[in-house]
Amino acid sequence: MVTTTERGGSGQDIRRDNPIKAFFRATELDTRILGMVGAMLVIWVIFDVWSGMLRPNEGLFGGAFLTPRNLWTLLVQTSSIAVMTTGMVLVIVMREIDLSVGSMLSMVAVFGAVLQVYHLGPALGVGHPAIWIIAMAACLLAGTLVGAFNGYLIAFLQIPSFIVTLGGLIAYKGVAFLLASGETVAPMDKTFKIVGGGVPEGWLGPFWSWTLGILACIGIVLALISGRKQRKKFGFPLRPIWAEVTLAAIGSAAVLGTTRVVTSYPWPFKLIEQYATANNVPIPQGVEDKSGAAICMAGDQIVRCTDGLIYYTGYAAPVLIALIVGGAMTFLASRTRFGRYIYAIGGNPEAAQLAGINTRLVTVKVFALMGFLVGLSAIIASARLDAATNALGQSNELYVIAAAVIGGTSLAGGVGTVYGALLGALTMQSIQSGMQLLNLPAAFQDIVVGTVLVIAVFVDQLYRRRIK
Amino acid sequence: MHKAIVAAAMLAAGLATSASAEGKTIAVSWKTFQEERWKTDEAAIKAVVEAAGDKYISTDAQGSAQKQAADIESLISQGVDVIMVVAFDSDAILPSIQAINDAGIKAIAYDVQFEDPNALYITFDNVGVGRLMAKTMLEKGRQDGNFAFIKGDKGDPNATFLFQGIMEVLQPNIDSGAIKNVCETFVDGWKPDNAQKAMEQCLTANDNKIDAVISENDGMASGVVAALTAQGLAGTVPVTGQDGDKAALNRVALGTQLVSVWKDSRVLGKMAAEAAVAMANGTPMEELPGVAKFSGGKKGVEMNSILIPPNPITRANLSDVIDGGWITKEEVCAGVPAGTVDVCG
Amino acid sequence: MATPLVELRNISIAFGGIKAVDNVTVDLYPGEVVGLLGHNGAGKSTLIKCLSGAYRRDSGQILINGEEVQINNPRDAKALGIETIYQALALADNVDAAANLYLGREILTRWGTLDDVAMEAEARKVMGRLNPNFRRFKEPAKSLSGGQRQSVAIARAILFNARILIMDEPTAALGPHETQMVADLIHELKRQGLGIFLIDHDVHSVKKLCDRAAVMKNGQLVGIVKVDEVTEDDILAMIILGKRPDQLTPKDKEAVH
Repeated sequence: MVTTTERGGSGQDIRRDNPIKAFFRATELDTRILGMVGAMLVIWVIFDVWSGMLRPNEGLFGGAFLTPRNLWTLLVQTSSIAVMTTGMVLVIVMREIDLSVGSMLSMVAVFGAVLQVYHLGPALGVGHPAIWIIAMAACLLAGTLVGAFNGYLIAFLQIPSFIVTLGGLIAYKGVAFLLASGETVAPMDKTFKIVGGGVPEGWLGPFWSWTLGILACIGIVLALISGRKQRKKFGFPLRPIWAEVTLAAIGSAAVLGTTRVVTSYPWPFKLIEQYATANNVPIPQGVEDKSGAAICMAGDQIVRCTDGLIYYTGYAAPVLIALIVGGAMTFLASRTRFGRYIYAIGGNPEAAQLAGINTRLVTVKVFALMGFLVGLSAIIASARLDAATNALGQSNELYVIAAAVIGGTSLAGGVGTVYGALLGALTMQSIQSGMQLLNLPAAFQDIVVGTVLVIAVFVDQLYRRRIK
Repeated sequence: MHKAIVAAAMLAAGLATSASAEGKTIAVSWKTFQEERWKTDEAAIKAVVEAAGDKYISTDAQGSAQKQAADIESLISQGVDVIMVVAFDSDAILPSIQAINDAGIKAIAYDVQFEDPNALYITFDNVGVGRLMAKTMLEKGRQDGNFAFIKGDKGDPNATFLFQGIMEVLQPNIDSGAIKNVCETFVDGWKPDNAQKAMEQCLTANDNKIDAVISENDGMASGVVAALTAQGLAGTVPVTGQDGDKAALNRVALGTQLVSVWKDSRVLGKMAAEAAVAMANGTPMEELPGVAKFSGGKKGVEMNSILIPPNPITRANLSDVIDGGWITKEEVCAGVPAGTVDVCG
Repeated sequence: MATPLVELRNISIAFGGIKAVDNVTVDLYPGEVVGLLGHNGAGKSTLIKCLSGAYRRDSGQILINGEEVQINNPRDAKALGIETIYQALALADNVDAAANLYLGREILTRWGTLDDVAMEAEARKVMGRLNPNFRRFKEPAKSLSGGQRQSVAIARAILFNARILIMDEPTAALGPHETQMVADLIHELKRQGLGIFLIDHDVHSVKKLCDRAAVMKNGQLVGIVKVDEVTEDDILAMIILGKRPDQLTPKDKEAVH
């Protein structure tokens, strides 16, 4: 037996610290991330209060921002950038950069669209079930190959990644243009479109959303228990029980809170009406209420009302994809050899090489992975827009890199987390969406986003210096 | 506008094709060939120039003001007769235009204006495009209610020109309170995905109470329609656009977009080429058919110009784009239920 | 006499016509520390890098336990039990001590994921033998002191059953207390029968830590001497003048002194 109860996980004696420090030490919570979450919540409240002053709405503070609808939309709007950001973190951690992701997204999206609209549609018949499978597989494969090609140039021909991907930024844009002669290619296949989350088929619904949320909570608890068991087996210091419980509570609260929000956003009533009519769902009788989200029959008219037929959206497909990707990438970064090597290369490339790591191969793999994620984002973005053009995704690289950096990824390499980057992406989209909600001029939005980027990095540096 | 149509007809009839036998050279300095539309223009220009027995040469500045200056220098030294310039930067180009003038060569500002009184300016009537959008909205869409305005890139003067035209037409209804401007935003790079986000936020902020959307082009209209579709509103809220995008013309047929104002770049190319051929043969630009004075640029320099009116394509005249060979009937009518649109049967 | 652990025989390496190492022969016995000395550019680092697999020799032989071996890359060297502890203290700064110890040879769980707990446990065991005061297993390497980093680097070598250790100025950046700590470490390693090549500038620490000293100048071997049998001045003379003690004239002695 080890004397463990009064020790934090990192082994320091916590009795000397003040209660707040003791709390963070015992729970090993990333204070940096908590700070970011705090800052984002403050931004949310400001937007809600401000928009409420312009036009009262149902938000938590009387505005339009902290409503299930806006938060749901915010998550959907973030997903395409978020998926790419998880890969960009690893690229930057490895001391590389990928400036080509935006143009690559255009290229892959147009490629997938041309394939399904101009080739597969006419060949197999529009709506054929093989179309979406082939189109998606082709997008993912194309992205992976292009990424691997970037990686090959960087790792084996020793061209700096800045140059290779700057070239890619310019060249892939050209390819995107040529693939469709600069035209907008639309519409996407019916099933393909589901991934964009713009149609009811792309919404998980309350039942599955809650099921998934509860499973995630169980997962969190099991992971904590198995970690504790494992440490106990080797006789390592353990977290106090209260800290474990707190961690489980925080994790579950975040999951269930998000689930609660997305399951409170009802389908737009027009879509309920369309669905009910198309599927012969009986619509109950009721009293008209123009502010209601449900529908009911008043005589033989379909009207809006408070009590009646109503469906809730739950998690939208692109959000689900982004969350799964976030989880998978976190796992990859922290629990696999591949992830460990990426960080080691970022920390000291020479040491990594001397340790026998095939740094070139890892580089190619990381860029291929980045390409795969760009392919996935291209699917999400084109499915959501229900069209692909060479303008789609352009300059996304700036937002992807900014999200990673706001999320605490150091451009010097070696440092960065997937969840931090996801938070960075969400924060940035919050600011943009919030300002659009307030109908602020676009130029002003640019100024704010740019300023936030710089401030975030500055605050981060202050924080790191203090920690040292 | 009438004048220009007459001019088009006259030029098309071949008045300007009385080329001299010696064979002049007409040059075009393109700003970039990255955009598909310039290839359509080029084909139209080339056809006219070669039919007149003259020679067509061109350079591509690849989106660089410096390269364009060098391109023009080389064209001047080749001793061409007329240079049409699609300026990448309408200010930076001015010294090059001066050099063209000094060499006794005639300059034409093609599609993009630069302000030099000695040059001829040929373009679509951009303010007219905005007017046409708004006019079509009033005539075939809505005259009142909550309007959302999705404008193009804030750095692009065309976005502002368009908006001026739109406002000219809508202003009386705005002043009377019939039309309420509830959202108005520029969209970076005219990007459809950004337009989609802007429209989503606009719908959220206004609880879906949007009655009409003025989108300044078709690409952004695709984002607007995607946002409306997600709320079940597509088809009930009229949306404008321009460019004659194939996907947009399909949306017009489907009823999810009201109008796409179509600038047939073949007409632009043809008229400019005919003007160039005539100028190469010594016709003074004041005497070209359809020429009028224009001073609507940034600095207000007065120039001879030919402004070509665009064509607003709605469900009623979809046959124009099909007959003009711009798009096939199958492309226009994809997914359109039978009996809803005339051209689709 | 026993078989040497390592024999480098007639090694030559040239870079673009310049002979960085010119026909050098050195050997190393188990439980022995051989110092490699010389000015910058004398060729000592280049020589040792062909043992660690970083460079390939142009000619000559490498024998381990009397058998000729081919070392073409760091992996080959590691497979032969040759571990290098670099001057730049080659640790990945951003990962913790346990991860650094196992870098490139991680312990995996049965699902193929990293078994950090098992690695930490092993790390604690090894470090317990080498440096019992070390506690900071979960902190990034950059927060460790020079001596702590050195002990992590050495532990890393031992963990993988190194028989031959190459150390590049192991005490260069350290204070007196930590230098003593490393000296103790080296004694412990010798006791366990490892052979150590020690590259250094500092004659004093060579005299203190090594059994024999091999001095190089301009790519050539000046000579190998037992440190007990010579003075620091003798070694200095070899470095500066390129002459063995028996070749020195009185004038030379004067100059060095």
